[in-house]
Amino acid sequence: MLKQREQGGISFELEVPNFSLQRGQFVAIVGASGCGKSTLLDILALVLRPDQCQEFYIYVADNKVNLKRLWNQKEESRLAEIRRNLFGYVLQTGGLLPFLTVKKNIYLPIRIKGSGYSDEKIVQLAQRMGVAELLSKKPQFLSGGQRQRVAILRAMTHQPEIILADEPTAAVDKENAHIIVQNFHKLAKEIGTTIVMVTHNHDLVAELADTTFTFKVTRESKTLTRSVCFEATA
Amino acid sequence: MTSQQQKSRGTVLNLALFDLFHEWILTLCLVLAIAAVIAPILLLLGLKYGTIATLRDRLVQDPVYREIRPTQTYEYKKQWFTDFAERNDIAFLTPTILPAASIITVKILNSQKTEIFDLIPTGMGDPLILENGGQIPKGNQCVMTKMAAEEIGVAVGDNLSVRVTRNRGGRQEFATAELEIVSILNPRAGILERIYTPLNFVVDVENYKEGMAIPTRNWTGGSPRPYLSFDGIIAVLPQKLDLIAKGNLRINTGVNEVELLANQAFAQITGFNLPTHLVSYHLHNANNIVQASSYRAVKRKLRGKKAIIIPYVKASTFRQSKKEISVFGLSLSPKHLQTLGLSELPWGALKNKPSYQKIGQLLLPNNIEKLETVIETSFAGIKGTLTFPLRIQGKSPSQYALVPIELLATLRTGLQREIIFDDNQQTFLLARGGYGGFRLYAKTIDDVQPIYTALKQQNLEISAKVDAIERIRILDRGLTRIFWLVAIVGIIGGIAALIASLYAAVERKKRDLSIMRLLGLSRYQVFRFPIYQALAMAILSIGAAISAYFTLSLVINLVFSNDLEMGQKICYLPASHLVIATLLTVSVAFISALLAAWKTTQIDPAEALREE
Repeated sequence: MLKQREQGGISFELEVPNFSLQRGQFVAIVGASGCGKSTLLDILALVLRPDQCQEFYIYVADNKVNLKRLWNQKEESRLAEIRRNLFGYVLQTGGLLPFLTVKKNIYLPIRIKGSGYSDEKIVQLAQRMGVAELLSKKPQFLSGGQRQRVAILRAMTHQPEIILADEPTAAVDKENAHIIVQNFHKLAKEIGTTIVMVTHNHDLVAELADTTFTFKVTRESKTLTRSVCFEATA
Repeated sequence: MTSQQQKSRGTVLNLALFDLFHEWILTLCLVLAIAAVIAPILLLLGLKYGTIATLRDRLVQDPVYREIRPTQTYEYKKQWFTDFAERNDIAFLTPTILPAASIITVKILNSQKTEIFDLIPTGMGDPLILENGGQIPKGNQCVMTKMAAEEIGVAVGDNLSVRVTRNRGGRQEFATAELEIVSILNPRAGILERIYTPLNFVVDVENYKEGMAIPTRNWTGGSPRPYLSFDGIIAVLPQKLDLIAKGNLRINTGVNEVELLANQAFAQITGFNLPTHLVSYHLHNANNIVQASSYRAVKRKLRGKKAIIIPYVKASTFRQSKKEISVFGLSLSPKHLQTLGLSELPWGALKNKPSYQKIGQLLLPNNIEKLETVIETSFAGIKGTLTFPLRIQGKSPSQYALVPIELLATLRTGLQREIIFDDNQQTFLLARGGYGGFRLYAKTIDDVQPIYTALKQQNLEISAKVDAIERIRILDRGLTRIFWLVAIVGIIGGIAALIASLYAAVERKKRDLSIMRLLGLSRYQVFRFPIYQALAMAILSIGAAISAYFTLSLVINLVFSNDLEMGQKICYLPASHLVIATLLTVSVAFISALLAAWKTTQIDPAEALREE
């Protein structure tokens, strides 16, 4: 798979020869800034179209959905449907909607999808994440760590197949970051969701990740930078 | 649509409303800003509408402005009223009598106080009565103007004694009637002392004043008997006239043709043969009817010449059932009949004012079988059919049926003036020729001009408050233009504010919107986000604006209440206008939101993954 980007006359090319995710895996994408990890995450999140690819599939139950074809045919609403049904997202600073309470934020994916965990289960999960007493608050009154925990909770309430987390601990101090990632990992294992976590901090995920992808960046010329994604061996 | 999509649609609306609520200060500012645009427009529209409505009200509600009045006396035929009333822009039309005949003396029963009032006819649908708090009088009821009622000191339910006076043959005469007051009109109906009654009472008063009897009211007097008119006169003489005597017959007699009549022609007209020793002359007027005065003049001129004067009405037929009977009219003294070789007639010689007892007789010719002794007969040639009873008195000496000439001469008059047979009085009467004027009300003030024009085209002198109506129209047009100018500027300002604000909001919420997209809302679901917000704010704004409008209009109407009549408002909008304003605001908000909505579709869900 190939994706090219151009900015200010400088081209960036990301090549992903092979990338596959298994159910229940905790996958880390690690790399320095500018290596293309966010671009890869955009493609995985179905919000960025790859320029070229041989094959791009997702398995929904027993069906194999050809994402390459959906992109080529610009079936945006189908892609949106896949996003809301199969994906959960944890963004850098949480990505909570400021005008909704924590509870409404957590329920939003369920409302959009139309199904998800029962209320008791969500309350139970909230207790485990330590945010149960924050449910009626607006995100602006939460600390960075609390927001991230709410964001993680929100990413899983509608029972997605894959949770994509983009530097979920970037805005949190080191100690908290470890706790959050561990919690995240533990919960994901329990509910059997695949997690793809992008981070520049290899130490954070080194112990937990089932698979780690990283990048090899080469500067081909003054105007072209190439990055190749590969699976790092443990 | 799947239930899932329905759920997410509700989700977008929910999100939009939660966002508005979250940013309630910004929302409130924008709602107030839009309300501040709409409220003055509503107020301005209310003032324009209320002012014009009040002015129009005064015109519309006051039937005086819808009245068209004749300004000169002219005889309006019954047919004219029938024809003109067919126009569909006329609310009410009634004949009136001559102004001089409409003065009556009125007193309250058992009181000595008397007043002189003007008597005006009314009838079903009279707006002057109905729209000034009155009810239409029937039979012996009447309605009074406020001034008239106050002058004599009466109230609804009182009875009035009405005295109609006339001068007949130098003698002062009067008749009385009793009228019950059913309504007293608002002062607005006019400051004159007037009394309104059904048309037939007013007509009876006029007829009485002209000397007629009104038997239905036991008012005595004369009858409008039809005068006699003839087609010509046959003069039967023992010998021919000389040229001088013949020419003399044309002087001051009303006849201008005198010619010798052949015996055959005589028989043709009269139905019997002239004895051979006699000659006959035919006297007639080529251009006019021959009147009773001509008969007397001819009779005078031929005095001493042993002349028999036979005035006649030609070729008359009576119709009974399907049978037509040719009739000749002949009234002669026994002596003259003897000269003509005819038997005596039961009714004798011609009299100027015969009773119907005398003229309602008939002799049947030999060729007609016996009929009932009393036959209902109609006279052909008169417009419509006139029915009257005749007594059969025997056999006619002529080949035609014979009746008194007075009968045919009366019926002959009916070809020129309408005559009726009054069963009660058992006599022919001249019907009313026409009316001295009319009372006319247009349906709306806008109908006044066309009716005015139509009457003018009939060369009638009339007056109407056309100018007052036109002034209001010009004012309305002017105010409407000013209103639209202000409204358009205001609306454009409101739209600009709304577009800018919604567009800026989308810019501000780019990240939130992109998160919604990332979480799986489609482009078109997010498209609705600013639209829902715009609609919600429009509804809040119009609500605020209408509340502000009501409060201010209440104040304005209170301030002006002293100058207004009950129920009138200087600032007023009908509910329909408020509904239209609401729909308009919502539509404008919808259109204004489209730009912002389009902007949302340009937001890439990938932006959610980027931190600024």
